[in-house]
Amino acid sequence: MNILIPDSWLRDLIRTSAKPKDISKALSLHAFSVEKTIECDDGDVVYEIEITPNRGDALSIMGIARELVAILPDKGFSAEWIKKPAEKFKEVDENPLTVEIMEDDLVPRFSAVVLKDIISKPSPDLVASRLEKVGIRALNAVVDMTNYLMIETGQPMHIFDYDKIKGHKMVVRQSHKGEKLITLDGVERTLPAGVIVIEDGEGRLIDLCGIMGCKNSEVDENTTKALFFVQIYNPVRIRKASMTLGHRTDAALRFEKGVDFEGVLPGLYAGVEMLAAEVGSKIASKLTDIAERPKGISEVYLDHERIKKIAGTGIDNTVIENTLGLLGFEVLGNGNVRVPSWRFRDILIPEDLAEEVIRVYGYYNLKDNLLTGEIPAKKEDKRFYWEDKAKDFLRFNGLYECYTNSATTETLAGDEALGIANPLSQDLSHLRTSLVPQLLEVMDKNKGSSGVTGFFEMSAVYLPVDGDLPDQPMHLALVTRGMPYRDLKGIVESMLLELGIKDDFTFEIETGLDDVLYLETDFDKISALAKFSKTYTSISRFNSIKEDLTFVIPEGVTYDQIRATILLCDNRITKLSFKDFYNNAMTLSIEYLDKDAQVSSQDTQEIRAKIFIQLEKSLKVSLKS
Amino acid sequence: MDVVKLDEIQISALKEISEAADAEALETLRIKYLGKKGILADLTGSISSVPNHQKKEYGTKLNEIKETILGEFVQKGSMFAFGIPAISGLEKGLPGNPPKIGHLHVITQAIREIVDIFRPLGFTRTRYPEIEWEYFAFDALNMDRDHPARDEWETFFVDAPESKEYGKMVITPHTSSGQVREMLKGELPIRMLNISRCGRRQVTVKHLPTFFQFEGLVVDEGINITHLKGVLNYFVKNFFGDNREIRLRPYDFRFTEPSFEVDISCDLCHGKGCRFCKEGWVELGGAGMVHPNVLKSGGIDPEKYSGFAFGWGVERTYMMKAGTQIDDIRHIFANDIRFLEQF
Repeated sequence: MNILIPDSWLRDLIRTSAKPKDISKALSLHAFSVEKTIECDDGDVVYEIEITPNRGDALSIMGIARELVAILPDKGFSAEWIKKPAEKFKEVDENPLTVEIMEDDLVPRFSAVVLKDIISKPSPDLVASRLEKVGIRALNAVVDMTNYLMIETGQPMHIFDYDKIKGHKMVVRQSHKGEKLITLDGVERTLPAGVIVIEDGEGRLIDLCGIMGCKNSEVDENTTKALFFVQIYNPVRIRKASMTLGHRTDAALRFEKGVDFEGVLPGLYAGVEMLAAEVGSKIASKLTDIAERPKGISEVYLDHERIKKIAGTGIDNTVIENTLGLLGFEVLGNGNVRVPSWRFRDILIPEDLAEEVIRVYGYYNLKDNLLTGEIPAKKEDKRFYWEDKAKDFLRFNGLYECYTNSATTETLAGDEALGIANPLSQDLSHLRTSLVPQLLEVMDKNKGSSGVTGFFEMSAVYLPVDGDLPDQPMHLALVTRGMPYRDLKGIVESMLLELGIKDDFTFEIETGLDDVLYLETDFDKISALAKFSKTYTSISRFNSIKEDLTFVIPEGVTYDQIRATILLCDNRITKLSFKDFYNNAMTLSIEYLDKDAQVSSQDTQEIRAKIFIQLEKSLKVSLKS
Repeated sequence: MDVVKLDEIQISALKEISEAADAEALETLRIKYLGKKGILADLTGSISSVPNHQKKEYGTKLNEIKETILGEFVQKGSMFAFGIPAISGLEKGLPGNPPKIGHLHVITQAIREIVDIFRPLGFTRTRYPEIEWEYFAFDALNMDRDHPARDEWETFFVDAPESKEYGKMVITPHTSSGQVREMLKGELPIRMLNISRCGRRQVTVKHLPTFFQFEGLVVDEGINITHLKGVLNYFVKNFFGDNREIRLRPYDFRFTEPSFEVDISCDLCHGKGCRFCKEGWVELGGAGMVHPNVLKSGGIDPEKYSGFAFGWGVERTYMMKAGTQIDDIRHIFANDIRFLEQF
């Protein structure tokens, strides 16, 4: 997610000699990509920064400042922390708050305090203009404070009208399916089950936790007492709720990426201080701080050698430890480092420390090396070779290659096709079991182009298998328009020959409307049959005798039958090919050759007689008179 | 008269001879050039007007030309004598008849180019299931149940019974699902190039629900970041050109640690920064050192072996090549013949 960081605000927290362009470059190369820098009218610069999903801790001015303090010194710039944390306030026991948390994992940390003497007034200009630079509209000092501190510290905050919380009681629980509430933006939302909500003493829902407050407990111009509220929620529940409701607020985006467990109270103190300065509010209760399941302290083994091995270069141990120190890690005596509380979700293993050290060191400082070592003794899968060869053949025979979607409509996908549980649309709802239907669509779409047109696609289809992944064979489909049937058949037969396949693969061409022909084959089967090896037959020093014979073919007899029959008649029949076909008469070219002697006219007559007898006997085929 | 002039005469003679359509036309030309009062005889006669210091060069050149022209006459003459047809000058100037040739899809062409670049480095192409178990697509890659990429708005789930062992069936959202399958073959070292169709719930100018990825995976002893940089730089220089540079930025992927985003210098401004890029750089794709948990899923000891991986979109990478000028990825799957025939 991208965040906006004004340079002037950053300099409230740190003092540095780096100019905006230095900051922008250092962040991009060592931490986060600065996608844009925006110049403001008042001379300020705003950085638009892409924060990776693992770094919720950096979604704030403070988070970016922490990075810069670690990165800049090594690049020749000074960088020191100047912002002082707010101090703890003095509690009073005036206004009670009863809190019940129904399940531990909903809200790992819950803190709140009541403030009195609230008055409604606008924020100072500095606050309003900074909020505007980060894309938030200023409303009034009370609400603006929660937004301002969320941007500065990364901790979302909320403020209720204390007197609108009936019975001054809060019950944090999971929603029931179908419960309704109205959020601050005036929208009525119907909740699914499992969303974190707060109900008050009268059972009214007063907060859509971590996402947005509710209208019924909102601070308005009559508010004098407010409940200031800083929490940490279960990130997974917040993400699921915010996604399901389609309501992605700044608060939700931060909660779902994880918020610093130890930042809660400092945030609360800062808010109390800021409001006291701006509107003169005062503390009016004890501090509520419920930390059910303390988190945030973890240790990871610091393996200096592993870091150097991953980097492929020597980095001094002192540089390693110093870098980690600047990033907030504490090197302990037991060989471990203590992970800073804001990184507890992200730093878990020694490799994570390696990333921290090497990114600060600079990836550009590492060499480019090609692989050395043993080359894997692997045979390449020959399927790729045959697929490429077939594609080239089809291309050089005038066909156009296509890729269509692996999903299509239920109708086109074929019977038994697997459905997609969450399709983008009904047009892409099922996994295809055949390529032809979509290729026919391609043909239809291109009907404006003139002349013979043919398309092919080589892609997997998905054939359901009980209790397992579908079978996913590579299929080859061809669709043509206006091409004579035997031309297409000839292309496919020649392609098979080109792949070294003679008679052992059969295919069927289908006819469609408007001169369309199509076929589909299992190309994995073709790849399995394809072969490089060709067998040499010695070349005879005698000449062959060729002749054309025309036969009358009875209905139902096929060319393949005739061919097989003739070839079996005599081993001197070496070649036979189809020549012509007219009505029921078929002309064949036959070649006779004897490798040991010249075939004489007497031999020819003898062979021919065998052919006539055999054809008549087994197929009722006779010579055309 | 000079030597340059002689060259011009040779050129025009040869041209006229080649254009002669029959024996008669050839004879007319013979008289014109080689006849008693022909051009060459004329030139021989004018040797006296050539300055003395050039006479020798002039004479030699003239003899050469005579022989060349005579040779052409003999050859052409014998063609006519044997009845070999001559192609007229007009016909020679016409365009040839092209054979009818189709086109390979951009994706196929891009894949071939990619495979050819990685092959000399010892990478072997593979292909793994497009419909895959959640286990290989996520769990084995160190992506726990709650990882956002596993939410249904990013991944397509197949309406089929769950496997007890491997979870739900999905359209694989990335070629990385082949990583652990490759490791489980138990053959080390690994230099895999897995190219396969993937699917994600997305439709934008840059992303489609169906797309291709190529995934490199190297596992061996002593593999480190410098190897990743070296191999990616080699690919970039070969695929995009010598003048393009790469840089690595820190990034976050669950299955690599450290993780990088790889940028390539902008082709338009060469790193200076312009409106088509981010401060001079364009994002190419993700890469990283294989996470120890992924090696463990593949039955490989992370104490002994290490590796790197990268997985990039085939279409997207091809679109970033200088000069392709494909502005919208949707053209690639539209299968319009007017698009297909441009590649």
